[in-house]
Amino acid sequence: MTAATFELRGLTAAVPGETGAVRLVEEVSLSVSAGETLAVVGESGSGKTVTFTSALGLLPKPGRVIEGQALYNGTDLLSLAPESLRRVRGAQIGMVFQDPLTGLNPVFRVGDQIAEVLRAHLSIGRREARERAVQLLARVQIPDPARRVHDYPHQFSGGMRQRVLIAMAIALGPRVLIADEPTTALDVTVQAQILDLLSELREEEGMAMVLITHDLGVVARQADRIAVMYSGRVVETGRVDEVFRAPRHPYTISLFRSIPDLDAPAGTMLAPIAGAPPDPQRRPSGCAFAPRCFAAREADGCMSRRPLLTDEGHAVACHRQGMLEQAA
Amino acid sequence: MLFYVARCAAQLAVALVGIVTVAFFLMRAIPGDPAIYMLGDYATTESLAALRARLGLDLPVWQQYGMFLASAARGDLGASVVTGQSALAEIWSAVPPSAELAVAGMAIAIAFGVPLGIVAAVRQGTFVDVAVMALALGGISFPVFWLGLVAILVLSHDMGLFPALGATSEPGLWPAIHHLALPALVLGLSVAAYIARLTRSAMLEVLGQDHIRVARAMGVPERRIVWHLALRNAAIPILAVIGVTFAWSLGNAILVEAVFSRPGLGSTILKAILARDYQLVQAGVLVLAAAVVLLNTLLDLVYGAIDPRLRKA
Ligand SMILES: Nc1ncnc2c1ncn2[C@@H]1O[C@H](COP(=O)(O)OP(=O)(O)OP(=O)(O)O)[C@@H](O)[C@H]1O
Ligand code: SF4
Ligand SMILES: [Mg+2]
Repeated sequence: MTAATFELRGLTAAVPGETGAVRLVEEVSLSVSAGETLAVVGESGSGKTVTFTSALGLLPKPGRVIEGQALYNGTDLLSLAPESLRRVRGAQIGMVFQDPLTGLNPVFRVGDQIAEVLRAHLSIGRREARERAVQLLARVQIPDPARRVHDYPHQFSGGMRQRVLIAMAIALGPRVLIADEPTTALDVTVQAQILDLLSELREEEGMAMVLITHDLGVVARQADRIAVMYSGRVVETGRVDEVFRAPRHPYTISLFRSIPDLDAPAGTMLAPIAGAPPDPQRRPSGCAFAPRCFAAREADGCMSRRPLLTDEGHAVACHRQGMLEQAA
Repeated sequence: MLFYVARCAAQLAVALVGIVTVAFFLMRAIPGDPAIYMLGDYATTESLAALRARLGLDLPVWQQYGMFLASAARGDLGASVVTGQSALAEIWSAVPPSAELAVAGMAIAIAFGVPLGIVAAVRQGTFVDVAVMALALGGISFPVFWLGLVAILVLSHDMGLFPALGATSEPGLWPAIHHLALPALVLGLSVAAYIARLTRSAMLEVLGQDHIRVARAMGVPERRIVWHLALRNAAIPILAVIGVTFAWSLGNAILVEAVFSRPGLGSTILKAILARDYQLVQAGVLVLAAAVVLLNTLLDLVYGAIDPRLRKA
């Protein structure tokens, strides 16, 4: 196995709460290598965004990482001085966020915003930055880029704004691209275009990509590996084909119930499961999924002990996985 | 953009007419007769009536108002009943010292208020933030004439840093600045307090927005994020509070002029009110109002330059 470009080890991030630290994500471990796409799925609030923002030191105060490492080519980003971390962000690791409509600064021209990112990392003049901005807009297939660099964000559609944000994220040729539900806020037709653009760029640049999504069809088509998150933890991870063929964690099984095979059409969303995920402040003491789990059994420790992720290729965090496999 | 400018100009005209109208009727609503003031208590009924007729004061108020508007439209605001000189010219001669004070005061207010507000926002919840906000609360709570008196007592009387008089007839730039410094500081710091508080809250709002998180994720240096990317977004509410506090600080300037015995619009208008010198008061109000409205019109244009979305409207 080649060394991972980007790897999280036991990442735990918390915010102060009334009764001590509230752990938003706990012991998250995952990795992604050059040329590979890792899909991260999970219900809303499962900690997908917090995982990656805290790995890049972007968790808003007073939130902070209390344990774990975020390794980029073997260097722990969380041990870096703020200035060194800043130089990695944007340059080595690009990130595209959930909501393109609010992601651009409304009072600056898009060309200037792209130039701002370039000039944050390179010592180039305004003119050169502006020229590169035009090239980047062309790169993300925005028509008439030489004219569009002068426009303001409100003159762009949602899909076009996401393209601009992608242009900013890839401006410095990062080795890792984290795309956090890049299409949720967009029209269905535009969603496909943006995802195609992302996978094209990933192939051309040989980047490692993390794709956070709710769309299992997209996972099936674009991802090599998958990590399923529930209540701040990774509960199952492995190669996409393995996990789709034989999901082992009851949560994953419930999610996949509606799609038995890899030929899931695009737009197949995670199946809703009865009940709601626990608030990070009031997680049950055993398995966080126990209240909603069809297989939960006290005798196996579901209500008292936290299941830990096994240490294999296709890893699962469940006390009963062996028994479930036998039953299947 | 042209339409935007035209709309600003129209707003300016409407505001000015409204303000002189209010001033016109307000002056006539307060008791007192300029004729008696001019001729004295022992004037005969005939001579009073003759003077009233000459001044047009015997006509119905609405007719007086009509005549006033007609001549005002031609730029003629009448003559001061006390000195007989053109009211506008008399007011105009009192403008320079007041303008100096107001401009110096606002410059100090902005120079202190904006950076302090930004620093407080960036250091939200820290000692710096608490200290700045406590200072600002003090600046807002104490009346400006009290601040003025304390400033004179401490900085001028005890420490001898500045003269207690806010004006001088000595020639030269340095004596003028030296005398202006203390009144401008007193006027400016109370406004700075407002500006600091508003700047802080405007910056806090912007710094929590998505595009700032994007800029951080892209590795834009924090200094650049605060002083360039966020500040331009916060500029409109900050400029708006500058516009509002300008009107308010013109009012304060009258008090500051009194405390520091400075000549200016304050003492001129005050004397005119006591003398029921209608024309002079009207001219004074018009000049003050024009200053406020002009500044706000200018700010409206600046808003359009800052935020492209406002230009369309
Ligand atoms: N800054 C914060 N302070 C406190 N709690 C937070 C903060 N950010 C996120 N949370 C909480 O952490 C949990 C995980 O949030 P996160 O945004 O990572 O979810 P997500 O998986 O990205 O969901 P979605 O699919 O809706 O984007 C949620 O319960 C959320 O309320
Ligand atoms: S540990 Fe128990 S409760 Fe949790 S998922 Fe497995 S079977 Fe369900
Ligand atoms: Mg999210």
